[in-house]
Amino acid sequence: MDDLKLLRDLGAELEHGPPPTLVRQRTRYLHSRPRRRWTGWWTAGLVAVATVCAVAVPTVLLSHRGPAGPAAGGEAVDVSGAVNVLLIGSDTRDGEGNAKYGPSSRNTGQRADTIMIVHVPADRGRATAVSVPRDSLVRAAPCTSGPARTVMINAVYDEGGAACLRTTLEKLTGLRLHHTMAVDFAGFEDMVDALGGVTVKVPAPVNEPKAKLRLRAGEQVLDGEKALGYVRLRYYGDGSDLSRIKRQRTVVMALLKKAQRAVADPAELQGFLDVVRRSVKTDLTVEEMYQLGTQLAETKVSLKVVPTGPHPDDRVRLQWKQPEAGKLFGSLQ
Amino acid sequence: MITQPAVRGVDSELVSASWSDPEAFAELFDRYSAMLYRYVSKRLGPGPAEDLVGETFLIAFSKRRSYDLSYPDARPWLFGILTKLVARHHRSEATRYRALLRAPVEAEVESPADRVAAGVSAQAVRGELAGALAALPAKDRDVLLLIAWGDLTYEEVARALGIPVGTVRSRLNRGRRKVRAALGDTNPMEEE
Repeated sequence: MDDLKLLRDLGAELEHGPPPTLVRQRTRYLHSRPRRRWTGWWTAGLVAVATVCAVAVPTVLLSHRGPAGPAAGGEAVDVSGAVNVLLIGSDTRDGEGNAKYGPSSRNTGQRADTIMIVHVPADRGRATAVSVPRDSLVRAAPCTSGPARTVMINAVYDEGGAACLRTTLEKLTGLRLHHTMAVDFAGFEDMVDALGGVTVKVPAPVNEPKAKLRLRAGEQVLDGEKALGYVRLRYYGDGSDLSRIKRQRTVVMALLKKAQRAVADPAELQGFLDVVRRSVKTDLTVEEMYQLGTQLAETKVSLKVVPTGPHPDDRVRLQWKQPEAGKLFGSLQ
Repeated sequence: MITQPAVRGVDSELVSASWSDPEAFAELFDRYSAMLYRYVSKRLGPGPAEDLVGETFLIAFSKRRSYDLSYPDARPWLFGILTKLVARHHRSEATRYRALLRAPVEAEVESPADRVAAGVSAQAVRGELAGALAALPAKDRDVLLLIAWGDLTYEEVARALGIPVGTVRSRLNRGRRKVRAALGDTNPMEEE
């Protein structure tokens, strides 16, 4: 049997025809200069990942320090009061595994795929995660090179980094964003793998050809890839966001358990910490993450999206709908 | 899918026309977006395909002035851009192949007569094929798939990737050798 023929047949089997929506891309080049974009297909898991980072990571870090005491200063960290965290789901090129793809002039730097503002009220009862569509055209704060101008919001991050995105969003929303956390989503897989997988009880068999994910029902150990697929599943259970969030929570809690156990094994811990260092960038200290993480573990999160409509100057881009957007952020004050 | 207006000539003419008239570039999209979409959908699935095709044209447009007009056919150029974009998704590509590796082969063949025998064979060994693809170095895989899935010639692959034709041959041979090795002595018809 000819191997090329077999490959072609496999290709034919994997192929999808172009959807009618492809035409949306037709005039995209007319409206913007090239910039990096990433598909939003993994957005669903971001909250889970962030929670993992906020919960599991510091737990491990802190437990590891053990009796040596938490912080150099030793004083308790105060993360009380309402906290707003800017969450950025990014994909970076600086990972080890990416290096072999070579430095391309365009492929350096970071891309914001998902931008979310997580508001945690003082009582920690109900957090709100507001996702900001990356196609939003916004007035960027003048922190990038050149004067303030109207750009797509993820370009603000590409060019000015997290600090600039934060300033821009603070201006736009009127909220103070206390912290930023950038998560390399691909790193989630590595984190899970570094912990030797995560044990989850899957309520019903999963067969999701789109995600190429097949799981049997019952308790089992998921590797990073499967865990990621599992938290990302959309059409499963009752198919609601709520059930997805629940699933994410299950994985997070299981991961947390695993992380606590990992502390016992220095080699495993080392691997995990290396992965974490690569995948999470934040201005939160370990202690703050720990505090926030333990508090958030109990918190219900509701997901919202900034109300938008087509931008008058550029119909393939979005503008925030006022007064709705203002009202939404006002409610988070 | 996309209506094709009166043919305006070869791709290179469209590219040069787009220097002064950006709208002309949209016809390149009409010609090749579906083809590029199919190609990405094989490597990465339909999820990221749409965006990647859009971005390919976005980048192509920004580079249109450096297009070598002595090449009438723009496909290799577009495939070259797309290949670089696909590289960003190497993780999900590998995941995709590995998922195939694990997924049980659908053994039942309802009506063998309706099926092309070769198709059945490819399905029977798709785990091996996918495993071999996942294990290939990116450079070899790019060449192999541009030929097998992108239907480019050696010369076109060379142009797309900016490498000599001899290198295309050696990478292709290496890739095929590994695929064959993965298939081993398996007779696909005897697979479970």
